[in-house]
Amino acid sequence: MKLSTPQRRERLDRLAAEYALGTSPVRVRRRLEAIARRDRVVARALSDWERRLAGFAEAVPPMTPAPRVWQGIVGRLGLDDLDAPRKDPWWQRLGVWQSLATASLAVIALIGVLEWRRAPPAPPATLVVVLAGSDAKPALIATALRGERHLTVKRVGNATPEQGKVYELWALPEAGPPQPLGVIPPGNIARVPFDHPADERLSNIPSLAVSVEPPGGSPTGKPTGPVLFSGSVERMY
Amino acid sequence: MNDASSEAALRVDDLGALLARVALGDQPAFATLYRRSAAHLYAIALRMVRERAIAEEILQEAFVSVWHHAAAYDAAKSQPMTWLAAIVRHRALDQLRRREIDTVPLEVGDDRRLAWDVPADAPTPVELLLAGADARAVRDCVDTLDAGPKQAIALAFFHGLSHRELAAHMREPLGTVKSWVRRGLERLRRCLESASPPP
Repeated sequence: MKLSTPQRRERLDRLAAEYALGTSPVRVRRRLEAIARRDRVVARALSDWERRLAGFAEAVPPMTPAPRVWQGIVGRLGLDDLDAPRKDPWWQRLGVWQSLATASLAVIALIGVLEWRRAPPAPPATLVVVLAGSDAKPALIATALRGERHLTVKRVGNATPEQGKVYELWALPEAGPPQPLGVIPPGNIARVPFDHPADERLSNIPSLAVSVEPPGGSPTGKPTGPVLFSGSVERMY
Repeated sequence: MNDASSEAALRVDDLGALLARVALGDQPAFATLYRRSAAHLYAIALRMVRERAIAEEILQEAFVSVWHHAAAYDAAKSQPMTWLAAIVRHRALDQLRRREIDTVPLEVGDDRRLAWDVPADAPTPVELLLAGADARAVRDCVDTLDAGPKQAIALAFFHGLSHRELAAHMREPLGTVKSWVRRGLERLRRCLESASPPP
């Protein structure tokens, strides 16, 4: 006997109520959904109950989902990400980090890692060093794509060397003295060239530092001025 | 959000109108629909599945489905939020029933302990049932339910508990719980129908 015949109305109503509430066994739910696709009386009974119970859900306090949810949706559907019109690679969007100046380096590194993990398509393998002063505020961020023969150094604070001085970048190995990597040219985004790919050059280097030096860099091959900033080398690959 | 059609989408307040445009493949409308409804739908899913990662997955699946099936929305049959919430709730239920085999242990006790990833001071299911029944008639009808049926219906609706889980959680025999749910729903329907004739 069809579920939608008048004699079965009471049973249909009960099944539809439990369907909308959610207590129906899976097999019953699947069956009702299948029937509802071709039987308008059954479909109507289900939507009537959804409507009756819908008001309950209105009081659930809203909770904003993480941005990755929307990004996942547009990613799966292959749509343009309308909420994130910025097309730059994430490491060029470091402006946002300036507002996080007081956050700990660990937190900043984590943000970078999360951003990297979730962003589809994944950005190329990258080295990142957040160079910060003793107050833990990031001042410079050095990055390199794998295979690139330079470090890109972006200023995120207002750190600039005093007149007649320069910043020099150093590799700090596990053991042994600092190794000079070169003077950081002036400008908000500067390049420090390497002879070899940066990821190879820094493969055994746990951290970098920046010291204040005379023009042209340290004359001794060791830092001569104060070391202002340092940070660990994060490898995102 | 920078072209003319997205500007227009931002001005559309009505979720139903947004859904109609989503059915035509309007991406800015889809983004606006998400912004308007995601927090509400996510909260519903999170209460049911109780784990952020799973609730996020459900929300994603639901919106992917909405993009493909927005044309199926029938404004004559339901409010847009009702339709969207039903999609999310049924996906959450599927997820819960699938997990039932390797059952997530349910604690016996008060309502709050069901909500792991939900803030501790969030309203309980029964509070929600009463508060959510925003139409006066629905609230009055919920009020007429006895404590047992009221709590069973609230737990089933907001946390997606099955009969068996309700019985375990409420420490009542399965038959008692089943009949609470059945009688509670029947009473709600009668009460609502007498308050306002069906459309």
